[in-house]
Amino acid sequence: MNFIPHTKEDISKMLSVVGCSTLDELVSEFKPKLSELKIDNPLSEIELVSYITSLSEKNSAMKYFVGGGSYDHYIPSVINHLVSRGEFLTSYTPYQPEASQGVLQVLYEFQSFICLLTGMDVSNASLYDGASALAEAALLSSAHTKRKDVFVDDGLNPEYLKVLQTYCDGTELTITNTIDKNTACVISQTPDFYGNIKNPQGLIDMAHQNNALFINCISDPTSLAILKTPGEFGADVVVGEGQAFGIPKSFGGPYLGFIAVKQFLTKKLPGRIVGMTMDNQGNEGFVLTLQAREQFIRRERATSNITTNQTLLALTATIYLALLGKSGLQNVARASYHRAHLLHEKLRKNGFDSINTNPFYNEFLVKSPKPSEKIIADLMECDIFGGIDVGDDKLLVCCTEKNSLQDIDSYISAVSK
Amino acid sequence: MKLIFNYIQSNTKHIPSQEKDVDLPEELKRRYLPLCDVNEIQIIRHYTELSRKNYGIDTNFYPLGSCTMKYNPRVNEDLAKLQGFSDLHPHMPASHAQGALQVIWELEDNLKEITGMDAFSLQPSAGSQCELLGVMIAKKYFAEKNETRTKIIIPDSAHGTNPATAAMCKFQTVTIPTDDRGNMDINEFKKAIGPDVAVVMITNPNTLGLYEENLSEIKDLAKENGSLMYCDGANMNALLGISKPADQGFDMMHLNLHKTFSTPHGGGGPGGGALGVRSFLEDYLPVPRIKKENEQFVFDSNKEKSVGKIHSFYGNFGILVRALSYLKSWGSDIQKVSQIAVLNANYLFCLLKEDFDVPYDRRCAHEFVISAKNFGEKSTINIAKRIIDYGFHAPTIYFPLIVKEALMIEPTETESKDTLDEFARVLKTIIKELKEDPELVKNSPHTTPGRLDEVKAARQLNLRWMPKES
Ligand SMILES: Cc1ncc(COP(=O)(O)O)c(C=O)c1O
Repeated sequence: MNFIPHTKEDISKMLSVVGCSTLDELVSEFKPKLSELKIDNPLSEIELVSYITSLSEKNSAMKYFVGGGSYDHYIPSVINHLVSRGEFLTSYTPYQPEASQGVLQVLYEFQSFICLLTGMDVSNASLYDGASALAEAALLSSAHTKRKDVFVDDGLNPEYLKVLQTYCDGTELTITNTIDKNTACVISQTPDFYGNIKNPQGLIDMAHQNNALFINCISDPTSLAILKTPGEFGADVVVGEGQAFGIPKSFGGPYLGFIAVKQFLTKKLPGRIVGMTMDNQGNEGFVLTLQAREQFIRRERATSNITTNQTLLALTATIYLALLGKSGLQNVARASYHRAHLLHEKLRKNGFDSINTNPFYNEFLVKSPKPSEKIIADLMECDIFGGIDVGDDKLLVCCTEKNSLQDIDSYISAVSK
Repeated sequence: MKLIFNYIQSNTKHIPSQEKDVDLPEELKRRYLPLCDVNEIQIIRHYTELSRKNYGIDTNFYPLGSCTMKYNPRVNEDLAKLQGFSDLHPHMPASHAQGALQVIWELEDNLKEITGMDAFSLQPSAGSQCELLGVMIAKKYFAEKNETRTKIIIPDSAHGTNPATAAMCKFQTVTIPTDDRGNMDINEFKKAIGPDVAVVMITNPNTLGLYEENLSEIKDLAKENGSLMYCDGANMNALLGISKPADQGFDMMHLNLHKTFSTPHGGGGPGGGALGVRSFLEDYLPVPRIKKENEQFVFDSNKEKSVGKIHSFYGNFGILVRALSYLKSWGSDIQKVSQIAVLNANYLFCLLKEDFDVPYDRRCAHEFVISAKNFGEKSTINIAKRIIDYGFHAPTIYFPLIVKEALMIEPTETESKDTLDEFARVLKTIIKELKEDPELVKNSPHTTPGRLDEVKAARQLNLRWMPKES
């Protein structure tokens, strides 16, 4: 295809203004010159659609009973229509607030939603994804406490742990297994990777006795509709993955990292923050604020290097939360909870052992009576992706409001063959 | 405008009602959820109205320098949303996600050919995260060679995220000034390069929109010194099909897929990052890597030297689908993109040269920087706001920091000659207004909300809505 509007005449007129005779001459300074490019011929739109569609069809379509950091919640139809509006989709970071009030107000609403759900004081306008948001929180805690040790509670999503480890290696922090005077932060996930809802109070107190920060990581934030807020428990930082709020699974991205803190950490936050202000006519409006924390002003003394974030996903989550509202979000959480508990009960009756040591929300761990590979394969035969194999014949299973009673019955009949 | 929290309406009920409460211990249960219900029609109106308060490429010319705000082909949106992609769970085994792995494989392959790099990771979510990954790789590489190198050389024209990245990884930034042709000063560079320098991080073309003329010598000196050459490739829109960063001597580089490969910027993101490396650094890339075995794509996590992982899953996959689609559309004609991007920038530069101070009077690449310093202090911000009144988004302003009253203009290849002519006419008109009716410009914009008070925003922080109850 050709997305360039110029006619031949335009090009020759422009070249003569520039003082060049050919386009090649124009770029001749760029060295070394490339001889040839081994890339396929251009595709027309009709060929492109057919090719990319054929790739998409090589992926299997399944019913999902899987979470582990990506959740199959229902996405109301309106979201795509609104998020696709070109004024949102094709804009960029609102450096000129007068021409960006739309995105800025959306981000202010997003920050508010995150605070309301987590019980925290201040949120930023998004980070990349759950894992890197957690890593940024560890960096924040190190900058705040001037300490370098990071304590991680059992049950953190193993992928998040890998990302955290990578960031710690690169930024000279250490993951340790004690909480003491060198601890910058204590990290715990709720519910944890295996579904356990643990009361964090003990860990929070231990963190605070050692003047360390407590970071709560949330992987499916629809749980916040029914669980006591991390803010109320006393968390200093809450981070997590906002994908559950109306964002397609899309093979793992783009997703939505979020971070919210208590007031005293506001100026340590990474990334963009939107604030309300006034215009010169006395009307309320919004701008990017506290920019002195950011890389483009503070350079090597910035709180983070993040530049581009995940604004369009923050918009998605904002519209999702607006659409569902209080009763809708509660319905999502209750339905997810009850479906998971129903499947859990049925699995127990079919020879699976329950392994969770704590109450669970919509994800739980069971030990399979048969080799787990066989269970997963049997389910796949029925177009069901039935769980994450965590080894030792243990399966991590997840339900959402999308898993119907009929789906649950199909699941049970597939595993009891 | 009213906030979404100020509506009290009936719920649309996208989800069937669930009367039965959850059975959890009281000490774990939420007592109060401070959200409100709003009906669907009102939500459509609310967010549609907000969208109308926003300039985007679809509605306005958006010459924001360094951001490559080109047309985002709509078909790519449809392709990323195909059910086979958008509904695909990231824990799906590779055997059932062959199409997705093929997207990643083919995109890596094309990017290798375009840049000359030997391997790519598509895990980073944006350019800044690529830099972080690149610096982590450099750190591990030197640690394994038992070399203590504590410094990263960065020119003073560089984007702020370069030194911010260096600092995150506990490197000291050595800032090199720019010479009077807009290049990194080679003599200062020679003084700075030494055994403690790990990385030389260069943006090419640089943020002044200029090709680094001493690159070949810089590369030789860096190599001799054992330092790694990193290219911030945010400006690759100038080089597609014309010159390969690997041939220029870079060991690592990043691409901002949302810029060069035209995925929509979404009001600030999502982006997509691609970190390319030469073969001697390939084993350091994050896992899992994708391999082809007997015509099947498989994950390979067994890489001892890998720095680890920097994304929850495999990166911003939906952005990768769009970038691949864009690349397939252009195919072997891709050099046309950069040729016209460079033509548009030089043409507009020539139209404006007479009217503005030109800090570096050379042929530019895909963007250029001019200065409004001759019109007095703060004239750049005033001009930028007045541009909005004429229906254009403003350029990037006050960046790079080394140019006083800078306007950094990147028209991109998808803008027509007419649009550029019109934009130049508008800038000339504004300059005239500055002389004849300066108050008009100083009080602009007049067609949108008035100028917003950033000082008040930072002094009297209001970062969220508060419910009345609490
Ligand atoms: C020169 C340059 N380097 C790095 C970046 C950072 O890239 P990203 O926004 O994709 O993180 C940008 C743009 O924001 C840039 O213009």
